[in-house]
Amino acid sequence: MRQIVNLKSGTLYLISAFILSLFALTVIASDQVPGKPQDHPIALVGCKIHTVSGATIENGTVLFIDGKITGLGTQVDLPEGTERINAKGKHVYPGLITANTRLGLVEINAVRATRDFAELGDVKPNIRAEVSINPDSELLPVARANGITMAHTIPSGGLIAGTSALITLDGWTWEDLTYKAPVGLYIDWPFMGIRKGRFVIKSEKEQLKERDERLAKIRDTFAQARAYMKAKEAEGQKGTPYHGSDLRLDAMIPVLKKEMPILLHARGIKQIQAALDWAIDEDLKIILLSGQDVRFVTSLLKENNIPVIYEGTLTTPSRRWEPYDTPFRTPLNLFEAGVTFCISGSGRTFEAAHERNLPYQAAMAAAYGLPKEEALKAVTLYPAQILGVGDRVGSIEIGKDATLIVTNGDPLEIMTNVEMEFIQGRKIDLSSRHTELYEKYKTKYERIELTNGKVTSK
Amino acid sequence: MQTFTQLSRYLRTPLLGAVFLLLFFTQSRTQTKPIEGIRENTPKVHALMNARIVQASGRVIEKGTVVLRDGTIEAVGAGVQPPADARVWDYEGLTIYPGLIESYSHLGLTKEKKKSSQTSPEGGSQKTKTGAKHWNQYVTPEGDILAKFKPKEDDLKKLRSLGFTAAVIAPNKGVFSGASVLMSLDKGSVNDLLLKRDVAQNIMFKRPGSRRFGGGYPNSQMGVIALIRQTLLDADWYRKAQLAYSLKPNGQKRPEANEALAALEKVVLGKQQVLINIEDDLNFLRAAKIVKKFNLKAIILGSGHEYRQLELVKASGLPVILPVNFPEAPEVESPEDALDVSLQKLSHWEAAPGNPARLLKANVRVALTTAKLKKQEDFYKKIRSAIKSGLSESDALTALTMTPAALLGMQSMLGSVDVGKLAHLVVTDGDLFKEKTKILEVWIDGNRHEIEKRPEVDPRGKWQITMNIPDGEPIKRELELKGEPEKLTGSLTQDSTSIKLTKAKTSFKRLTLTLPGKDLGFEGVIRMSGVVGKGKLSGHGKLPDGRRFSWLADSREPLEPTSEKTKKESTKSERPSFIPVSPPGAFGRLAPPEQPKTILVQGATIWTSGPQGNIENGDMLVTNGKISKVGTGLQAPAGAMVIDAKGKHVTPGLIDAHSHSGLSSINEGSQAVTAEVSVGDVINSYDIALYRELAGGLTAANQLHGSANPIGGKNSVIKLRWGSSPDDLRIKDAIPGIKFALGENVKRSRSSNNKRYPDTRMGVEQIIRDRFEAALDYERKWLKFSALKKKKGIIPPRRDLELDTLLEIIHGKRLVHSHSYRQDEILMLVRVAEDFGFKIGTFQHVLEGYKVAEVLAKHGAGASTFSDWWAYKFEVYDAIPYNGALMHNAGVVVSFNSDSGELARRLNLEAAKAVKYGGVSEEEALKFVTLNPAKQLRIDHRVGSLEVGKDADFVIWSGSPLSTYSICEQTWIEGRKYFDLEEDMKMRERVVNERARIIQKVLAANEKGKSKKKKSEDKPTH
Repeated sequence: MRQIVNLKSGTLYLISAFILSLFALTVIASDQVPGKPQDHPIALVGCKIHTVSGATIENGTVLFIDGKITGLGTQVDLPEGTERINAKGKHVYPGLITANTRLGLVEINAVRATRDFAELGDVKPNIRAEVSINPDSELLPVARANGITMAHTIPSGGLIAGTSALITLDGWTWEDLTYKAPVGLYIDWPFMGIRKGRFVIKSEKEQLKERDERLAKIRDTFAQARAYMKAKEAEGQKGTPYHGSDLRLDAMIPVLKKEMPILLHARGIKQIQAALDWAIDEDLKIILLSGQDVRFVTSLLKENNIPVIYEGTLTTPSRRWEPYDTPFRTPLNLFEAGVTFCISGSGRTFEAAHERNLPYQAAMAAAYGLPKEEALKAVTLYPAQILGVGDRVGSIEIGKDATLIVTNGDPLEIMTNVEMEFIQGRKIDLSSRHTELYEKYKTKYERIELTNGKVTSK
Repeated sequence: MQTFTQLSRYLRTPLLGAVFLLLFFTQSRTQTKPIEGIRENTPKVHALMNARIVQASGRVIEKGTVVLRDGTIEAVGAGVQPPADARVWDYEGLTIYPGLIESYSHLGLTKEKKKSSQTSPEGGSQKTKTGAKHWNQYVTPEGDILAKFKPKEDDLKKLRSLGFTAAVIAPNKGVFSGASVLMSLDKGSVNDLLLKRDVAQNIMFKRPGSRRFGGGYPNSQMGVIALIRQTLLDADWYRKAQLAYSLKPNGQKRPEANEALAALEKVVLGKQQVLINIEDDLNFLRAAKIVKKFNLKAIILGSGHEYRQLELVKASGLPVILPVNFPEAPEVESPEDALDVSLQKLSHWEAAPGNPARLLKANVRVALTTAKLKKQEDFYKKIRSAIKSGLSESDALTALTMTPAALLGMQSMLGSVDVGKLAHLVVTDGDLFKEKTKILEVWIDGNRHEIEKRPEVDPRGKWQITMNIPDGEPIKRELELKGEPEKLTGSLTQDSTSIKLTKAKTSFKRLTLTLPGKDLGFEGVIRMSGVVGKGKLSGHGKLPDGRRFSWLADSREPLEPTSEKTKKESTKSERPSFIPVSPPGAFGRLAPPEQPKTILVQGATIWTSGPQGNIENGDMLVTNGKISKVGTGLQAPAGAMVIDAKGKHVTPGLIDAHSHSGLSSINEGSQAVTAEVSVGDVINSYDIALYRELAGGLTAANQLHGSANPIGGKNSVIKLRWGSSPDDLRIKDAIPGIKFALGENVKRSRSSNNKRYPDTRMGVEQIIRDRFEAALDYERKWLKFSALKKKKGIIPPRRDLELDTLLEIIHGKRLVHSHSYRQDEILMLVRVAEDFGFKIGTFQHVLEGYKVAEVLAKHGAGASTFSDWWAYKFEVYDAIPYNGALMHNAGVVVSFNSDSGELARRLNLEAAKAVKYGGVSEEEALKFVTLNPAKQLRIDHRVGSLEVGKDADFVIWSGSPLSTYSICEQTWIEGRKYFDLEEDMKMRERVVNERARIIQKVLAANEKGKSKKKKSEDKPTH
């Protein structure tokens, strides 16, 4: 243990050296060993099973084989060789899914060398998130330890930022981690208003010009992509010349064919309206990523069957006059209007290190009116459905992945702890950089206490 | 009725005599210039006859004469005869007012071209200095404004056309920008125009730099305030030092020469007034505090928001020069745009025109100015809207004449039409503030400036016209002429048939008319011209066929020229429905919450955070805002307010040991050491974050300076008494503190080319040590000086606000709250503190505190940390959520803070993380946000736990405070309910209704404006 730690602090010095020289940072590696593929049946017995999709089962059993749930209920026949885990008094929930994150693409936001989420340029639909996810990021085990089993990692920057990936938080390589990719094409809708204030350098006119240029760029890019698709489709026809390839436009064809959704990010009401008007007009499959202003467009969303990734309750109202609980209550507005939605974190880079607090984003919505079951679904089943994997994960059902957590209580309560975790049947190491440092320094104080007695300020 | 004898009587009074001598002096200046060519000696004697004379508000002569001689008023009165040598002007139908005074302008100041001068981050200008200047580029009180005064005739004309005859010219650069002068707006050289020098020393009460970290010191509002304080102290010291040195030059170190400080001598002695230019009402209060503290003679150049702090503005006793920069209607046409307009903005739009009236009603001395108006030409439009909102016309006049004259110390020379005063007059064709009234001319120093040409004749009215057609019957019609004399409309009428004139105008004394001849029996256009005489028009015309005819018209009904301008121009003042709330805008309170004498909270789970622990089914009695009993089975005294809290949880009010809410500025980041600044100077009681935090159960906060420098600014500890003034938010008996910062921020790790010391953690240690040593050196100097028996002729040490603060730390009178992350820097600061013999109050963030918890415990420093933040920068890569528990277990007093207006709304849930990570008990965990921060801030004698004798600051929760599903239902401070779910719902309703009401009003006003505009556009086509 001490050996490892020493090695680690050596690594830290290396890191600082790297930062100074602005070399790529590849030496960070978490100490947790990925879970071993499930090689024998496992049953959690005697627990309260919160299936999420169906009724909660008291004193039940969930059996999983080869990473899939095969038995569920109060009476489950366990095949021979089943590992019975007595989970009496414990709760089983599907693993939590964070639907809007930079997890895996950033280590330390302030250290440029560790930022890998935003490529240069405005239009880069060809960028793929999954290929630079660092499986050894220290951030992954930290999130995982609180029940976050999957993450929808989205690249950012510019207007059309690239395609996202849904990953599991366990594995040796990014290919192991990738659960589904691409999931969607991320489009960051330009700010529609005029920024004012002391720190704004650009004039109103310049801002409007820039905005219009950016809007035109999105429109033009889609027009170009359609033309490209047409030209490519025509290639096979007699006499039509071969058309040179374009990685950017190629990547957009699934979007144009509605095989892949756009992840349309728009926050203020004007952005939301403009973005939706555009996307509906373009006849695209839309997932809207948005915040509290989404409450103004619930009927439009409902009519067009557009799901929403709600970017977190834990934020302040956007306008001075708005009620203090506006961001807390918006999920309730969505629910009451019958809009399909899930709850995520803010998606800010800062949040990547703090994805473990995802359940509390949902809990705040529940505290302010959203039914508790809905709040739970908003971080399990609903993100799975919205991201197109609702038939494989997000709830505890036979046939679904054995991606689940065992807790000593409601995971939406802070004081609850995750005691055991499985991702596709693999048992997950719940330790992290944090628990290791905790253990290390507990040792320090145990020694001090042994020699000096307890230190107090008195 | 004033006569020469009266005048000579005035002359006997010494004051006026002196003024006259001054006047003689200023007039004689031009006489020093040799004359080339032939002398001009046009007599400067004028008699303005038959005018209505408004001598001052309320003093009106309906028909009288003003006699001007050599630039002064020689006589005024109804029966005054023009002197034999006077040129006589007939002002029949016109009104004479005293010349208006512009109390603040930058007239004639050429804009300095931006030189690419390098400014050092420390605020000293690196451009080559000339002269004995102040170290700070923004302190230039010695500047000579006259040297920069180059007025353009066009700019002068603009002001004259508004009726101004004199204007204050104020410098506009820097914090201490120099003294202003009063200039006459006549034509002439500066020698002729200067009325008064050194009217006021100008202080700009805002950060001078434009970019965030550009421009050097100060780059924050609080830095500006600190600079003003230190400079005033320095000026006082400079005076004393120079005096002492002049008494005893031998053997003493010669004090520095400093023209800037010398220029402020009269200010600190109260002999010269200052004008403080502020930008909002909170800055008004801040400026007023400095005025009081330094006993300055001051005028405030206001912002237009003063009505929002009426009581305190009134209490300051300061006169105010008010701009009439009432905001344009906010954009609310699209519902989406309207969302982004705050209620505060809407309310201000509605209430701003009432600002002058409200202040005057509160007996504040008010002068009005065109300053801060976007378009100067809108001045009268804005004044009229102020009049509609309650300002009386006579008050408006006083605010532009007598009041400014008095504020400028020129009441004997300007401000009214009285004998002996300067010949500064405004001549109008009606009441000055009426919409149709024209300012025709101004007289300045006895010289006439024509603003609008008065038509020499006015043929408007009804006439009986006779056209003598050759070889035909004379045509008799009624002629009506309307409109403006230069541009008339009119018609010829007989019975019910009417012919419209195609053209009618006057030029000099001649009238020209054209009309279609058809209805008079001629094919083509008839042209006529003639002379306008008294009650008679006569001339010749041409028929379409070229034949000439004569015509004549007799007056039947002349148009009363002034009647139109004095008649009912909706003078009824609009009653604004504006009801002041505090703070202004959404969720402002109509009144402070009541404090019931006794309150009994019954049947709750009470988390006392004190020795009583948690009490199930507990009761708490509050008497006069203090906790008087906590226990079970308490009986309600007679008349007590009883709160049934069955099933609820009650906790002490939460306390945030690291907050930046409610502050107008956070960092004075321009220097490495800024112990002289204080966030307490810039408390922003309007910050909505405070209300939102109340809604999350927060009742007290440690407002801290940011982490831009190793030694930052002073703190302020507040209670969230939403609606109170900035001063009333403060906990007055809290031990003051200061922010220190270590690590990446202060060594500017984000900057690729940091030039500011320190650049390493090593340098951070040294600069802190060096400043503490400096403080001790400083103390020794003072001790030595204080011990002197004879101080006369001895140069006193200079007061240094930065070192004063540091000495307070060394003497344990001020707590250090140090931003810190890594264990090495935490240990370093502990050792520095030990070396200087004081204790660190708290380490803030202290994310590696868990690595040196025993050091913290032994030293006795508190640890105010984030519950679980990490990895956002390199120095927090080792941060762990077990930090709180580990330090707590080692005996450190631990709190969880927010450092964010968002997190501060749910600190109770942060506390739950101490249970989750490290297994702290629930009761102890809650103390991380109640008792422990109170201990850290040394306010635990008043707050932090529910114990008898402490302030009744408590929160009622729907369930356990550590449960994510619980919400805050009520928040009480000192027995007053500052937040309540039900009241909040009512306030929301009020916000919605108020917004809807004012938005409708804006829309209606826009509609009215549009139709008005359209009308005027349509006019020419008629």
